[in-house]
Amino acid sequence: MALKALDIYKLLPKKNCKECGDPTCLTFAMKLASGKGDLEKCPYLDPGAKNILGASTRPPIQLVKIGVGERRFAVGEEFVLFRHEKTFYHPPGIMFEVSDLWSGKEIEAVTRRVGSEHYVRVGTDLTFSGVAIRNESGDPDQFAEAVGVVEATGTHVPEVLMAHDPAVQEAGLKKCGNFRPLIYSATIDSYKPLCALAKKFGSPLVVSAKDLLSLGELTKLCNAEGINDLLLDLSFPSLREYIPAATEVRQKSILRSAPELGYPVFLDTTRYPMQDAALILGIDKYAGVIVTRALSPASSVAALTLRQNIYTDPQKPIQMNPGIYPVGNPGKESPVLLTVNFSLTYFTVQGYLESSRVPCYMFIVDTEGLSVLTAVAAGKLNEALVRDSIKKFDLEHLVSHRRLIIPGYASPLSGKIEEETGWKVLVGPRDAAEIGDYLAKEWKS
Amino acid sequence: MSENSPDSSGKIGYVVLGATKAEGGTRTVSFRLGGESDLPFIGMNTGQGSIPLVAFEICDDPEYWSPIVTSYTGDLSNDAREWAGVAEKQYGADIIRLYLTSTKRRGFDNFSSITTVMEEVLSGTGLPLVVEGSNEPAIDSDVFQRCGEAGEGERLLLGTAEAGRYRSVAAAALAYHHSVLAQSPIDINLAKQLNILLREIGVKADHIMIDPYTGTLGYGFEYSYSVMERIRSAALKGDTDLAMPMITSATDSLSVKEVREADPAALEDIAVEWEFYAALSSAIAGSSVVCVRHPKTVPLLKSAFRELWAGKMPGEA
Amino acid sequence: MTDIDTAITLGNASLKEKLNAIDGPLAYEETAYHLPVAYALTGRPVHTGKEAILAYTLTKENPFVACESILALSEQGPGREPAPYTGFIGDAVLRKLGYSLVDGSILGLALLIGTPANAETASRICRELQEKYMLTFLAGDVVPALSLASVKLGLEYRLIPLGSTSVHGVHFVDIITRVALMFGGVVPGDPGRLLAYANQRAKAIAIVFPGLDNEGIALVDALRLLGIPIISLGGYEGGEWIATAPEDAVREGMERKGIKVTVTAIPIPMSCSPAFEGKSIRKEEMYVEFGGGRSPAFELLRVKPASEVTDGLIRVTGPEIGSLKEGSAVPLGIIVEVAGKSMRADFEPVLERRIHNFVNYGEGSWHVAQRDLIWVRISKEAVNNGIKIEHIGKLIATKFRIDFPDLLDAVQVTLVTDLDAVLKGKKEAEAIYEERDLRIQGMKDTDVDLFYSCTLCQTFAPNHVCIITPERPALCGAISWLDGKIAYEISPSGANQPVEKGNVIDRVKGEFDGVNRFVKKASHGEVERCSLYSIMEYPMTCCGCFECIALMLPEVNGIMVVNREYKGDTPSGMSFSTLAGTIGGGAQTPGFAGISKNYILSDRFLQDEGGIERLVWLPSLVKEELKERLVQKLNELGHPELFDKIADETKATTLEELVAFLDEVQAPALTMKPLL
Repeated sequence: MALKALDIYKLLPKKNCKECGDPTCLTFAMKLASGKGDLEKCPYLDPGAKNILGASTRPPIQLVKIGVGERRFAVGEEFVLFRHEKTFYHPPGIMFEVSDLWSGKEIEAVTRRVGSEHYVRVGTDLTFSGVAIRNESGDPDQFAEAVGVVEATGTHVPEVLMAHDPAVQEAGLKKCGNFRPLIYSATIDSYKPLCALAKKFGSPLVVSAKDLLSLGELTKLCNAEGINDLLLDLSFPSLREYIPAATEVRQKSILRSAPELGYPVFLDTTRYPMQDAALILGIDKYAGVIVTRALSPASSVAALTLRQNIYTDPQKPIQMNPGIYPVGNPGKESPVLLTVNFSLTYFTVQGYLESSRVPCYMFIVDTEGLSVLTAVAAGKLNEALVRDSIKKFDLEHLVSHRRLIIPGYASPLSGKIEEETGWKVLVGPRDAAEIGDYLAKEWKS
Repeated sequence: MSENSPDSSGKIGYVVLGATKAEGGTRTVSFRLGGESDLPFIGMNTGQGSIPLVAFEICDDPEYWSPIVTSYTGDLSNDAREWAGVAEKQYGADIIRLYLTSTKRRGFDNFSSITTVMEEVLSGTGLPLVVEGSNEPAIDSDVFQRCGEAGEGERLLLGTAEAGRYRSVAAAALAYHHSVLAQSPIDINLAKQLNILLREIGVKADHIMIDPYTGTLGYGFEYSYSVMERIRSAALKGDTDLAMPMITSATDSLSVKEVREADPAALEDIAVEWEFYAALSSAIAGSSVVCVRHPKTVPLLKSAFRELWAGKMPGEA
Repeated sequence: MTDIDTAITLGNASLKEKLNAIDGPLAYEETAYHLPVAYALTGRPVHTGKEAILAYTLTKENPFVACESILALSEQGPGREPAPYTGFIGDAVLRKLGYSLVDGSILGLALLIGTPANAETASRICRELQEKYMLTFLAGDVVPALSLASVKLGLEYRLIPLGSTSVHGVHFVDIITRVALMFGGVVPGDPGRLLAYANQRAKAIAIVFPGLDNEGIALVDALRLLGIPIISLGGYEGGEWIATAPEDAVREGMERKGIKVTVTAIPIPMSCSPAFEGKSIRKEEMYVEFGGGRSPAFELLRVKPASEVTDGLIRVTGPEIGSLKEGSAVPLGIIVEVAGKSMRADFEPVLERRIHNFVNYGEGSWHVAQRDLIWVRISKEAVNNGIKIEHIGKLIATKFRIDFPDLLDAVQVTLVTDLDAVLKGKKEAEAIYEERDLRIQGMKDTDVDLFYSCTLCQTFAPNHVCIITPERPALCGAISWLDGKIAYEISPSGANQPVEKGNVIDRVKGEFDGVNRFVKKASHGEVERCSLYSIMEYPMTCCGCFECIALMLPEVNGIMVVNREYKGDTPSGMSFSTLAGTIGGGAQTPGFAGISKNYILSDRFLQDEGGIERLVWLPSLVKEELKERLVQKLNELGHPELFDKIADETKATTLEELVAFLDEVQAPALTMKPLL
């Protein structure tokens, strides 16, 4: 059981020295309690307290950083089994596979795609995470050459070096070892030399074994070699082993009942007949790094959207940027529909507006992500906000009429908005699904 | 942080869909859903639970259907009987879910046509049926009575019951021995409340499936995913008012912007992937039946479930 | 006058005689339930006279079994009575009827039996039953009487003539029995379950005209066992039938069985919808106004015994709209009287506040404030469309029935526009307001055994459970203990559930074993203990909607409170939103609690930590908002000086400033028992 803020506070020096960067010891304690503080930042902690706190405030799953620069990412440091219990923090890296048997052109094409392909959803840029270079030739030079091709693209995307032979690994690492690539993978037979390489280049390391028990043994051996940035390879022969294994790893690590399993999970989906299914499993269930063959355009958007969904903080609604969003090709006479900037509301309303085929403007005001009902109840959606937003987004010049459609649940505000803005307010339906009918019946420009 | 399997004590209850001749109906197969006492896809080796099933959705008036599907099926979608048969034999669906979209027409009052459509679809396929009746509260009573009557003995799953609107569905289920599809708007407590209301009116727990409502990928799917996980967790902890198998359908998959506005050449693939990603994730979150509309999504899901499922197959003792 | 008890004895004897004479196969057509009553009671299919006698004996000479057996013989083949009589109704039709009952399109079943002295009375009763969505069955002489009065009979008219004799009334029973078997999960051979179902679930009444024969009386009287109220229209004495005047018969029967007509439409010439709630009526749009300082006005809702409330009755005392001058201000009293079995005086203020919403729902009516501060306007447009003051009453009465179908059986509204009467009524109302305020203010947690829960926020805070007590409103400030109680009455399976307090574990901390049990279950096992009056040990969980956060400041041995609207820094080093992000989501965080503003004024506030003296910092806006009541409370405690010892952001926004301030004013928290 994790310590509560107050329990932690009791063990802190209570000097309020601010040297940790927080204004008071209590603030620092709250950060530690949520697993986001760094004990090392407290210069006056006594060793006994440090011992007690160390074990319980350290994240139950090791944070592992992969790559450097803008595209670097981190996985691990998760605290819950289900996202609704708090949130999942670190979305899995999706790495496109290339092989050292491929031509330079082919390798380059995949790398460039990872470097540039992106989708914007809800104001967030969604991208694939990196490239996994697989050694299929068995030849160190050829592997190094393939790594070189990836490096030469200048995309600086994070890499996984997939070579079991330490000599081949070393050849690759010589090309890119400064950029913290992920080394794949150490087995009971190869962990010593691979740990040495990981240590030398400061790289994280994947460990592979036949089952969880052996994986746990292996991480302990790697720890003894001084390597703590590890990932567990759960790409067992049958895909049906994945969910049980990944769940067991997550459960045991968050309960701290098996610290040797407290590492992020690695999943190589290329070895399964249904790569998309494996990818979905990895995204939904706890994977930290996933290797796939370059995805089809169709799978790409779906996979990135799913990953975004699963890793959204359930306690913080995703917010849209407030502003005016045209639907269809609206003109000066088109209706203006006001709603809140809770993303789900936005998308739902947008969907129904689009299918209504009535060109219009969506007028999104900033309710800090609250839904209509809560924004009205909390007073976040009020006449002053509407007035200011009309000014801010220059609605008066955008349309020639002065009629504003507000959501049905905002009806208590209609009179106040009219008074405050001088616009005529029409109260729309409560249910977004009825917007099409409503516009057809009520909107006469 | 204790929401995990070791301390769980509950079990998902059973619901039977469809009735074979021996069971008093005319279906060639019936399914017993539920029985899981662990998280989805865990513990299946111990013989519990059943493989998730794939329902293919059809309708009786394709004007209200996604053009992505109707352009793929062509004339077929004008004939619900044929369509149901093709869904069974060619697409490989486990269950047919029939939407009576004809009732959406303004002023619909041709209630005898419902009986006709029901009879046609029942004759067109031997698979168990899920039937989505009225779209308009004013005609619920007439529509559901006919759905229930036409399917008497077939152990249909009748939908959709909602908190403010469940009496007609429940009445049809009680009168003609069907089960009820109970839909709540992505909220565990409302799901529970609806099940209690249904129980109070006389519908037994083993005649209820929970539909937690599924927003598709990018459109609230994260809420649906979590509410499914929460319902399953609560059931495993012994909350019997939530211990019913779930059925989910991300019906918006084919109408969201990403799919609708896709490059025509890629549109079909995107539609299929969008459905596949949402449906497989729903099963991972605990759904026993996943429903889709694109014919090509069915075999993908079926293979994925076969790949993931180590437990009993339907019909195995 | 027929003596019921004598008639029952004679009737049963005659039925027994006829039963013993039965010879031949017994069967009804189109049913899977054989002779349904006998089958349901004994579990035995009856097909012969011998079996019928056996069933009769097994059921201790049940007159239903006798009647049903007798008719099973006589109704066969050519014995079947000609139209309009239906005789026994087959399973398929019954299934549809049962469907309509469950589905709510039929509200209940009625049996009309006997010989109406006056066909007009009978047809009026039928019409009333039709209007109230009852399905009515007729047996015996009532049928020809109605036919003579040209009343249309048949299923489509919801008037079903079962047969020409009173004995045919047994089909009413076999219908209820089969509904129980088909819909109620009752198993044949389980008379206990059958009786329970009939008593609790079957919505059935019987209305008896005079002149029933002995067999009919025996049959009808047996209906009492099924919980069916027998409304007698005269001509009988003795027994336990309910003598009622014909014009009250239907209402009496339905009320006794708790059958309620659901109201959906508001019959006034004005649109009514929540969509109009926020629409205001400007002076130039207004036809007439009431109150708002321009004329005396008040509103009052009172609970009354059922006998004093006539549902739907609207009275206007004083001038109606037609005699009011355009643009004038007129006195108004809105008096709403309600009756309902579970309605209590406690609920009055909560329901009274709804008058505001309801009047605003009208497109041309507008309402602000409450009690004797109300201000109401009716628009010119509405008056042009024919709206009268009476219609405002109709709107209020109907909306109450629609929104509180289970709580309220009857609502009547009186609108007073006569100045003297308004002044008099207002004075009486003010006395009632005051009495209510005293009662609510004086309500203590120790006065009640039940608290209420709220789990609405579990949507995003999965394990959060709010416990609402008279002295501690929900942490969002939106739901009081009374609100919770009423919400539970209205929706018993909703988000507000009663919480048994149970035994006191710690009086000062406010820990109760019943509350703990509830919280553990409702938090899915996550939260084991909950102290209602402490923030240091097992405080209540926090969802995210709290009005304020109370948190401990160890350095000053005190507790600060910050409200949602306050955006700046606080002495804790954290802003409201940072704090909210850390403690929300349904977690229990010792040292921190979400609270409502009003809770600050409660005697239970920080009870375990020493009460309001612990409070060291509160944003000025809240301080100002609560000032009057806070000062009063501090005076009562004998610490009027404390108000100025509570810092706000003008005194301190950092811990250092707060320490300096508290030292300077010598705040009590500094010298209180250490919190840690």
